[in-house]
Amino acid sequence: MEANEQMTNVSSATDPFLKPYPDKRLKSRAWNKSLVVMRTTLLLLTVLTVYAFVSFDYKEVDFKEAALGTLTNIKVMFLEPHLKHFTFLQAVHQVFVTLGLAFLTTLFGGLIAVLLGLLAAENLSSRRVSLLIKGLVSFIRAVPTVLWVLIFAVAAGLGSVAAVIGMTFHSVSYLVKAYSESFEELDRGAIEALQASGANWWQIVFQAVIPSSLTYMISWTFLRFEINFAVAVAMGAAAGAGGIGFDMFMASNFYLDIREIGAITYFILILAILLEVFGAGLKKKLKVNG
Amino acid sequence: MAALLEVNHVSKQFGKDTKALKDVHFSVAEGEFVSIIGPSGAGKSTLLRCINRMVDATSGEIIFDNRNVLDLKKKELKTIRTKIGMVFQHYNLVNRLSVIENALHGKLGNKSALAGVLGLYSIDEKEEAMKILNALGLADLIYKRADQLSGGQKQRVGIARALLQNPRMLLCDEPIASLDPGSAKVIMDHLKNISTNWGITILVNLHQVDVALKYSDRIIGINNGQVVYNGSPKNLTKDDIQLIYGSEAEDLIFDVGGIHAS
Repeated sequence: MEANEQMTNVSSATDPFLKPYPDKRLKSRAWNKSLVVMRTTLLLLTVLTVYAFVSFDYKEVDFKEAALGTLTNIKVMFLEPHLKHFTFLQAVHQVFVTLGLAFLTTLFGGLIAVLLGLLAAENLSSRRVSLLIKGLVSFIRAVPTVLWVLIFAVAAGLGSVAAVIGMTFHSVSYLVKAYSESFEELDRGAIEALQASGANWWQIVFQAVIPSSLTYMISWTFLRFEINFAVAVAMGAAAGAGGIGFDMFMASNFYLDIREIGAITYFILILAILLEVFGAGLKKKLKVNG
Repeated sequence: MAALLEVNHVSKQFGKDTKALKDVHFSVAEGEFVSIIGPSGAGKSTLLRCINRMVDATSGEIIFDNRNVLDLKKKELKTIRTKIGMVFQHYNLVNRLSVIENALHGKLGNKSALAGVLGLYSIDEKEEAMKILNALGLADLIYKRADQLSGGQKQRVGIARALLQNPRMLLCDEPIASLDPGSAKVIMDHLKNISTNWGITILVNLHQVDVALKYSDRIIGINNGQVVYNGSPKNLTKDDIQLIYGSEAEDLIFDVGGIHAS
């Protein structure tokens, strides 16, 4: 504080532009609206967290026993995995079924989302159309994928069809947002130049907009593919869409075989790591060319 | 020489009370090299963009090639735009595409939508592009990506793109404002060459009065949305410059007499 005061004194003395500061304390930040909102939110969250922990109903859970039991389960699951109800090759096949589900829904979603994304980008479409599409997709996005699958299961019946439609639906809404935002970030100049040369909308889109945002589009699409893989595992169980998720569901709920769950988890984990490595490589390559 | 472009009493208003252009009136003959000078915010860019209707003028008429640009329907406007090339301060190239792809974008306006979308160009079009890129000294760079070029090279690609439209007129919006003096000279020499040898009319916005004096057939001075000078560079006096740039600029701007002498 002392240093601050000295600073003000010095500057007011030497700098003719600075009038002597009226207040003695020099504040380092102004209290504006956003700061107040942020501080209040943090305070509220802290209070709520503390309250929640204090007011939990712990019943007669013995923490030591519960923790030990969980650890034993994890140990059995991951250190003694085995396959009992299907072979290794069958498991690999099922993993690829799940991967196929993720791939198909990302592909459908991506294709539809490119078109809708162009219409949702404010610089390429009218404000009204853009707002309409953005509003619609944010509604679709707000409802979880699982719920969409179950909604479509009413018409298509539980199974892979409902899963594909529901997951595509949610992928579209996610990718429309991602694509349209990368279109909107585009430099207006190139679009203006092509407009001034008499090119039409489709030509501008394919010659300037898409080439410029291709890197973003690919990395967003791949991210959605990873999400869809995780969702596809869950859909196998929740909607009976098949794949490794369904085997996991059977192992846990039907055979009650915790060791098999461990083995399946390893399969999913390995594939997730492979996807991650592939995705990182892809992004690196895009950056080099990008 | 017949007038290729006539700008008659054009005004442009942004919002309620921002008048960018006030009753602008001038004409440009075929093959002429005309510079528009004036302080920042005087309405130079707005004026250029009114001519190809990137910005819609509020009132007045703009006659290009005997047609009033302001009355055109969407389709006719596109046809007229193919006849007017535009060169930008920030080049406005598609950075991820190669030099030749960027240059060929000038052909899009004359192509069917599908061929343009797929980027299919005929052999003739490619050869024409090569010829123009060659003339602009870019022959060695045609497969380089646009973002790997220097500013001067990018601007030359921008000019190549505009020339591939086979335009009657080029609108250049401060083409050398972001370039070093060396590259700026190259660009201005190319523009002058295009004007004299290819007979293309050139309308260029400039910040540098000395450049405008050296290259143009005629200078139009704009201040606060109004034309305050319209005449040969030879007749541009110190008083005119003061009128264009306001009295404050007097000290900054060199001695006009000295430039005329050189």
